Amino acid sequence: MSVKLAGDLQSGNVVIVEGNPLVVLKAQYNKSGRNAAVVKLRMKNLLTGRVSETVVKADEKMEQIILDKKECTYSYSAPPVHVFVDGDYNQYEIDAETMADVEKYLMPEMTDVVEVTFYESKPISVVFPKVIIREVEYTEPVTRGDTSGKITKAAVLKHSKYELQVSAFVEIGDKIEIDTETGEFRRRC
Amino acid sequence: MADHWDIFCRVIDNYGDIGVCWRLARQLHHELGIRVRLWIDQLDVLTHLCPQVRMNLGCQQVDGIEICQWETCSEETQPARVVIEAFACEIPGCYQRSLLSLHESQPNPPVVWINLEYLSAENWVSECHGLATPGSSTSLRKHFFFPGFTTETGGLLKEAGLRGQVRRYQQKFTSQSSQATPDLWARLVGKTGENQLPDSQKMPGELRVSLFCYQNPWIPRLLDYWSSRSAPTSLFVTHGLATNQVAKWCGYSLKAGDRRQIGALELLILPFLPPPAYDELLWSCDFNFVRGEDSFVRAQWANRPLIWQIYPQEDAAHHKKLEAFLSLYLRGFSNVEAVSEFWRLWNHIPPDRSWAHTSGIEDAWEKLLHFRQEWNRHSEEWADRLDRKSNLANNLEMFVRKIREETSSS
Repeated sequence: MSVKLAGDLQSGNVVIVEGNPLVVLKAQYNKSGRNAAVVKLRMKNLLTGRVSETVVKADEKMEQIILDKKECTYSYSAPPVHVFVDGDYNQYEIDAETMADVEKYLMPEMTDVVEVTFYESKPISVVFPKVIIREVEYTEPVTRGDTSGKITKAAVLKHSKYELQVSAFVEIGDKIEIDTETGEFRRRC
Repeated sequence: MADHWDIFCRVIDNYGDIGVCWRLARQLHHELGIRVRLWIDQLDVLTHLCPQVRMNLGCQQVDGIEICQWETCSEETQPARVVIEAFACEIPGCYQRSLLSLHESQPNPPVVWINLEYLSAENWVSECHGLATPGSSTSLRKHFFFPGFTTETGGLLKEAGLRGQVRRYQQKFTSQSSQATPDLWARLVGKTGENQLPDSQKMPGELRVSLFCYQNPWIPRLLDYWSSRSAPTSLFVTHGLATNQVAKWCGYSLKAGDRRQIGALELLILPFLPPPAYDELLWSCDFNFVRGEDSFVRAQWANRPLIWQIYPQEDAAHHKKLEAFLSLYLRGFSNVEAVSEFWRLWNHIPPDRSWAHTSGIEDAWEKLLHFRQEWNRHSEEWADRLDRKSNLANNLEMFVRKIREETSSS
């Protein structure tokens, strides 16, 4: 068991709350006022499966449990689960709901090595590398002489319906880097 | 029996923390009949807002509110059943233990523990409003209550009858000669016991501006400009940082009660104004420069154009907050760019590819003047729009009732 500040929690982390192990599905950090900040957490109780939302101060200390982790690659999806494989060809089924925040990064034949976390031998979360590369399937072309002041535009990723804001110069077919912690565009490759 | 609430307030800086807490305490008591005890760590700050407060008392009753100094809180303190910690201040450990003990030993009516958060127009606020933070080992949870500008948030502080009061005041003073700046000045200064009779009359085309701000390097440029314009500007300079910066520009010291004419600019140096007098100033000016949270909200109820200097935060987090408010506030307004440009300049938001300013603060100010009438109308409409949502004190009271019902039925 270790202590982690709420502001440092990421999806996939497991914390003990009121005696129960809860996996963080989504952590949204926001500065509230002055230099205070709060974190909205969407968490799943690993014993009951119940999902709940909560808000904590970012400097709140949380008890984190360190669980077994394995490096795996994505194999296939069979809704409502996604199947991952480790280096010894063991397969692990993970609920789509558990992956809620990172499911959008899945794509066929993806080579990203993810980290699967286990609680009592059950896979409970998937953490992607900090930066992944995906291809843009669609984005509007930039209007020449556009003086509207827009600096970003929407783009949809290939093999995914995930839409994110990218720089105006990004075009269809471009490969882009995405920060998986924030879900934001980093740069064009 | 009247419900009993405790409000805890730590003064970080300035008057905003206690300003909000004092208003809230008074409204809860006078309008909702709640018995309120206000805990404050710097009583001297409250004496500015409420001169009846005595520094030598640990606990005292003022205007129906029990005011207690933070350090008098002890193991013997009987906690209230509703506890508000303002702006994420941590309530004392001894009080927390007593609160937990009360919650466990006498669960009815349930204890409600609320963290009253900062004001922001950002979207995430409505998603977090009302959520509870997990407890450690007990079922007592702290709930987050976010003030805001939409019905999905906790609303804004506003006393009953405030809108009518503002309207009556503004109607009265646009139809009477007492609208003149010297009369306003005499009233404001007189209220604090430093009356100075007016010696001039209102000038045609005069622009009346109030200045309440943090440090702002634009101030000298704006003062230069106002003093060199052909039309007169009367600048009501509030006590503290605003006066200090204006004095630096003048090159000599200024004190409350001073009136100085520099070119077309008349400087009217104010003493510290208690809240009712500051409200009157806001209602009387053509433009109000405000800062932080409390004066920012009061200026929105004043039906007049306002320029907000937001509290600066680490990592420029305040830039996002300013933009979030601008996009909400300027919805339906035809001159969005001009207001946004001035606000961004005033807050030193660096130009980027999303916005650029080609002019200085002087030109930006002139642009504002071009559509002053429309901005006036918009300010009133904005206040009406806010008024249609319930106010913060009422929302808090309803929220407490909801939590109690949920706790009792679970």
